[in-house]
Amino acid sequence: MKLSISKNVHLVEPGDFEPTDHWYPRVLNSNIHPLVSYFLNLSHEQMMERYHRLHPSADKNAIMEILSYQPKYFRWAGTDLMHVTNHEGYRKLAVIETNSCPSGQKSMPLLDLNVEKGGYKRLIEQTFKPMVEKHPLKGNLAVVYDKNPMENVGYAATIADAFQEDVFLAKFDKNDPDPPVKFENGLMHVRNEKDEWVPIRAAFRYVTQEPWTRLPQKSKTLLLNPIEACLAGGRNKEVASGAYDWFNAKFKAHGIGIFTPKTFTKVPYGELKKYFEILGGNMVIKVPDSNAGQGVYTVVSKDELDFAMSKIDPNDHYLIQQLIHSNYNKGLDPTQAWYHVGTIPDNKGRSYAFDLRLMMHATEEGIRPLAVYSRRSGFPLNQPLPENMNSWEVYGTNLSIKGDDGWTYADERLMLFDVRNFGQLGLGVDELIKAFVQSAMAIYAIDQNAIITFGENNTNV
Amino acid sequence: MNNKILIVEDDAVFCKLLTRFLSKNDYEVSDAQNGADALQFLKNNTFGHAILDYRLPDMNGIDILQKIKEKTPETKVILISRYGDEGVANKAIYAGADAFVSKPINPTELLQVIKGTT
Repeated sequence: MKLSISKNVHLVEPGDFEPTDHWYPRVLNSNIHPLVSYFLNLSHEQMMERYHRLHPSADKNAIMEILSYQPKYFRWAGTDLMHVTNHEGYRKLAVIETNSCPSGQKSMPLLDLNVEKGGYKRLIEQTFKPMVEKHPLKGNLAVVYDKNPMENVGYAATIADAFQEDVFLAKFDKNDPDPPVKFENGLMHVRNEKDEWVPIRAAFRYVTQEPWTRLPQKSKTLLLNPIEACLAGGRNKEVASGAYDWFNAKFKAHGIGIFTPKTFTKVPYGELKKYFEILGGNMVIKVPDSNAGQGVYTVVSKDELDFAMSKIDPNDHYLIQQLIHSNYNKGLDPTQAWYHVGTIPDNKGRSYAFDLRLMMHATEEGIRPLAVYSRRSGFPLNQPLPENMNSWEVYGTNLSIKGDDGWTYADERLMLFDVRNFGQLGLGVDELIKAFVQSAMAIYAIDQNAIITFGENNTNV
Repeated sequence: MNNKILIVEDDAVFCKLLTRFLSKNDYEVSDAQNGADALQFLKNNTFGHAILDYRLPDMNGIDILQKIKEKTPETKVILISRYGDEGVANKAIYAGADAFVSKPINPTELLQVIKGTT
């Protein structure tokens, strides 16, 4: 490895992969839960058959079409889902969000202890490398990122080993007045130690903060994922919602659909109070292109509504979603409400809301699961919310880790899918299959939206 | 031997990668991304080595070098600077640096410099 070949650029060399640098210590010392390992090794046919058993009206051919789908733009994705139930005890996995550039490798125990690069290797060798080998351009390889250096150094080191080439690891921050990455006529360049701009033939992209300000459409440099994946819904909740609606209309006759909380899009600031009334005094306000838990407000009271409205732009439009409830909200319409199933109560009786982060990638078989973990909220679902405590403490699951470098040790709200934590979630193989099929549908929907919007011929691939 | 090292470099990833490398080689490492934080560390700690970037957001590495040498002359100071920063090596040595290393930094080679100045 060569550090600081230019400002915010390091050169990662073959042989630089160090497991202790790319996983949380707790994860390195964990063992994957056997049910999770079993799930990850299921074939598409097995998942399809099981999903059909669980949903008898779901058309098997439609399910296989989804699972074996080859995305043109959206070849690496992560969904956040929640395990919900209704008043009759009918449980589902609800898609909350789908993202390009998902975090997750550092929280995923090894599937095979003999493969020390774990999911990093599977993503690079099964997704990135085949794409690069078909790409005609000459030049170097790079990882460009603006967050999560822990995983991105891991990806760079894995790419260096897979290709036996040095890899530029370049920070491409939206606030950098002199970034070390630029595009010229659609071709990415990275600055080297001699202040020269080196052409990049392919880059692994973890640029997440308003990436459209820095990445062009129709990039000549191959990107995993190209910006079109973000613009089509991979980084905009409103666009994603439209893609899901399109999917649900298309596949309704086949008995499958993406399940999300009831969603209203393009809600102007001035109508937020009206929706608060319509939704019975509980809702979630989302800034469409926010991420990492920012720009999301759970609202269960007038005070919280006022607080949220004080934080957001009065000139903008928002996404409003039905809140998934704890059991403590009285007066709900039982036919409409969905509740968190929550974690299994601990020895103090506490049950928490949690989400399920599922990372997926496109392989020669189609869409496959890659990494999975959960995050729980900070305050239990089944205790009254203290005065002056925001409902985000009950419903919000994003981890607030001090420092954004990704190396800071995650706290106990991180629920690994290992022998210690997985049982606390109350999930089984059926829930994992349902979550995966829902997530694959979300990828299909967003990728199809990208094709409709930007064309079938992705010049990037 | 004092095995405490202070790294002062505004690139947080540089600091983390080098910290992890040096920690695996039995050094106790602290890092700061600017001069003010570095000086705060120096108030309360004595380091065996300091690795200072010449260009920091709020001051240059030579200012910190001089403060280190005033407080603890036995601390070995290695100044680092980018390729092509002509004259910095000479300034560093005149100011009392024990070594100068030009970027890019190979951690293994830097470790040899650290050991060579111990």
